[in-house]
Amino acid sequence: MSAVAESPSVAAAPKAGQVIVSVRGLTKIFKDFWGRPKAKAVDNVDFEVRRGEVFGLLGPNGSGKSTTVKLLLGLLYPTRGHIEVFGHSPRHVASKAHIGYLPEESYLYRFLDSHETLDFFGNLFDLPAAERDKRNEQLLEMVGLSKVRTRVVGEFSKGMQRRIGLAQALINDPDLVILDEPTAGLDPIGCREVKDLILALARRGKTVILSSHLLADVEDVCDRVVIYYGGRIHAQGPLRELLAKPDAVRITMPALGRESMKKVLDLIRQDVAADKVQIDNPTQNLESYFLEVVRKAKEAMSETSGATSGSNVAAYLRGDAEAAPAGDKLLERLTVAAPPKTVEPAAVAAPEQKIDQTKLASLARPTEKPDTTPTPAPAPAPADLSQANEKLSSLLGKPDGK
Amino acid sequence: MNKIATIVGLTWKAAFRYRLFWVLCAMLAAAVVGLPLLIKDDGTAQGMVQILLTYTLSTTAALLGFATLWLSCGTLARDVEECQMQMVAVKPIARWQIWLGKWLGLLSLNVVLLALAGSAIFVLLQWRAGRLSPDQQKILREDIFVSRASARERTQDLNPAVDQIMKRVVKDPSTMNGFDRAEMRRQITERLKAQYTDLAPFKSRLIGIDLHTLQDRLRNQKLQLRIKFQTASPNPDAQFTTFWRIGPTNSSNPVELSETFPADSFQEFTVPPNLVDDQGHLWIEVGNPNDVNLTFPLEEGIELLYPESTFGVNFIRGLMVIFCWLALLASIGLAAASFLSFPVAAFVSLAVLFIGLSSGTVATVVEQGTIVGYDASKGAYGHTVVDIVVLPFFQGALKIINLVESFSPIDSLSSGRSIRWGQLGLAVAQIVLLLGGFFCVVGIFLFTRRELATAQGNN
Repeated sequence: MSAVAESPSVAAAPKAGQVIVSVRGLTKIFKDFWGRPKAKAVDNVDFEVRRGEVFGLLGPNGSGKSTTVKLLLGLLYPTRGHIEVFGHSPRHVASKAHIGYLPEESYLYRFLDSHETLDFFGNLFDLPAAERDKRNEQLLEMVGLSKVRTRVVGEFSKGMQRRIGLAQALINDPDLVILDEPTAGLDPIGCREVKDLILALARRGKTVILSSHLLADVEDVCDRVVIYYGGRIHAQGPLRELLAKPDAVRITMPALGRESMKKVLDLIRQDVAADKVQIDNPTQNLESYFLEVVRKAKEAMSETSGATSGSNVAAYLRGDAEAAPAGDKLLERLTVAAPPKTVEPAAVAAPEQKIDQTKLASLARPTEKPDTTPTPAPAPAPADLSQANEKLSSLLGKPDGK
Repeated sequence: MNKIATIVGLTWKAAFRYRLFWVLCAMLAAAVVGLPLLIKDDGTAQGMVQILLTYTLSTTAALLGFATLWLSCGTLARDVEECQMQMVAVKPIARWQIWLGKWLGLLSLNVVLLALAGSAIFVLLQWRAGRLSPDQQKILREDIFVSRASARERTQDLNPAVDQIMKRVVKDPSTMNGFDRAEMRRQITERLKAQYTDLAPFKSRLIGIDLHTLQDRLRNQKLQLRIKFQTASPNPDAQFTTFWRIGPTNSSNPVELSETFPADSFQEFTVPPNLVDDQGHLWIEVGNPNDVNLTFPLEEGIELLYPESTFGVNFIRGLMVIFCWLALLASIGLAAASFLSFPVAAFVSLAVLFIGLSSGTVATVVEQGTIVGYDASKGAYGHTVVDIVVLPFFQGALKIINLVESFSPIDSLSSGRSIRWGQLGLAVAQIVLLLGGFFCVVGIFLFTRRELATAQGNN
């Protein structure tokens, strides 16, 4: 990428585990016209984000997430504290060649159409015309706006504006992607695609900072989170550690016969009080159910005037335009993950296991990542992919899955 | 450079989204096409050109000036308010590049609009010229569709003489006659100036114009004398006879002319060729046979006009001076928008423009040394404490305004006066580089320091 080549001072290929974002003692106080303190939006915040992490900024509205994001981007200046992004101040221009940003709302030029929007931002990254055109095509295809490329952004629905906003955030193949409420305004299919994309980016070693108050989004994709309230961080750490219930175990298996079930329960009740044992039938989550309904509807109806389902992750974002699309595999695995597979017996039996395996299954991660220095997950076994391919194809309305 | 060009392109597209821009374009088209077709003139070549150029070029400059201020405030302030600037500022482009791109975008837009308007005016002027009578067309070709430079008598700097007299007056307070020092100085200056400007009844005055650098170029060329005088006569329709003797002082056969003119208007008459003496001076003796004083103002009382270039070239140079004004307005608008919201920036910019257009009032205040004006009951200028604050401000403002207003391309074009390359260069230096550059530096500094995410999007 030419923009990277022009900025040798910035690490063009950050090493795994390298600190990408460092925030120390960050405080932001908004002041009124006369310089009097008006609101303390961020209060003495510390955190670090390492390469390859999907890092979540979680908190209710007005807790300081978006302010933190804008401080990281140099759009606001800290009252106190220190921020480094790629080892430089957030206002360092060359560092911005490695950053992609999706704001909380569509802040795009309403008089530009989709293609012009991407071309404009591509130009700011000094991308050559041919590369720009190629990426434009791939991104528009990816976000499902290739059929409305000549419509101006001002005419778009909120969801479509989010999609084109996401596309512009990725035009430079960024090393650090900062997404502020990325699924706000998106339909469930769009939400799913965005989450798939985040995971696909993480697999390529990209760092993602996700700011959201939607717990499901964060839970589905984040490795580590900080939880904001009133401008301060009240909890932070790896998500699986924060969510783990080490003193409880859930077992999921095919339904047993009455006799077998009685035997199992008797065995368990030898060690656990009866009122502590809970038995129920697993249900699929609403997202999976919704996607299935949409799939069936799409089979019956083909035309839409809005955005279509996004296609494959753009080839340049996959890092290998010709090889089997890693992003697809990831999408596929997520699709597979909705009805959880049987849990490995060893994982259930091991008493020292502190992780809720069912929850992890629903998170649908192909592999586990280290807590602080995540590494790209290994490719899944080929045997799993045939089934996954079929599911993905039906989800995206492309029978051949291409 | 590619990034700046990208912002330039965006500025163009952003301009087209404003309805006001299209309204102004329509008004501009109506002015440059409609006015030449509709305006009636007095049938003379000079009248037609003066009316046509004055109306069309003034309207063009005013409309483009207003559009430039509006767009320059809007393109930056609204981008910040509507948060689009956040999307641009997080890309690898420096804030100064964004600012400069916007400025250059506005300038390039103005170049195109001014070129289109100028072309239309020029073509329609030629078309209207074709409808004049043959004798007026001849006058048009020889006297008006030309580019004439001017030369005038070199006058002394009066300040040393004024200073010397002031020293004597201050030493003897009785001579102050109740005036304060500023008023006394003004009166002394006017008295000294009168030596060069006033021609008493039945008197004559000899004027020498140095043309030694132009001697070869002006050989065999007819020249024009352009004069304007004022009188104390209460009759506005009165005509005044003037005698003119032109040629070397030792000539036994100088050219002698008798011309009768009204007061307070520019008049021109032809001077035969080859009257310059061996030292390169043209000597003109003017006589006043009337029973009233004739006052020839220092700047424009008696000027010698000589051909310098073609009308087309002069017209282009005139448009370029107007372009310099527009460049300054663009930098003022952008500088205001760099730290203010759109409505406030537009208000401030228009206020600056208003002060600029009120230069006559400002100059009068500075000249009189007070904003109160002449108090007829006391027979003197009044003074208040407000003057202490206002006068220095007005003096500063007038100096800045004069940097811009010392160029008057519309007057020059309509009177066939040459706007020389040197003047154009000076206009670029003073208006664009000095004043425009100042506003650019201030604007970029403020924009670079501004927090862009404090605005809430109102898309």
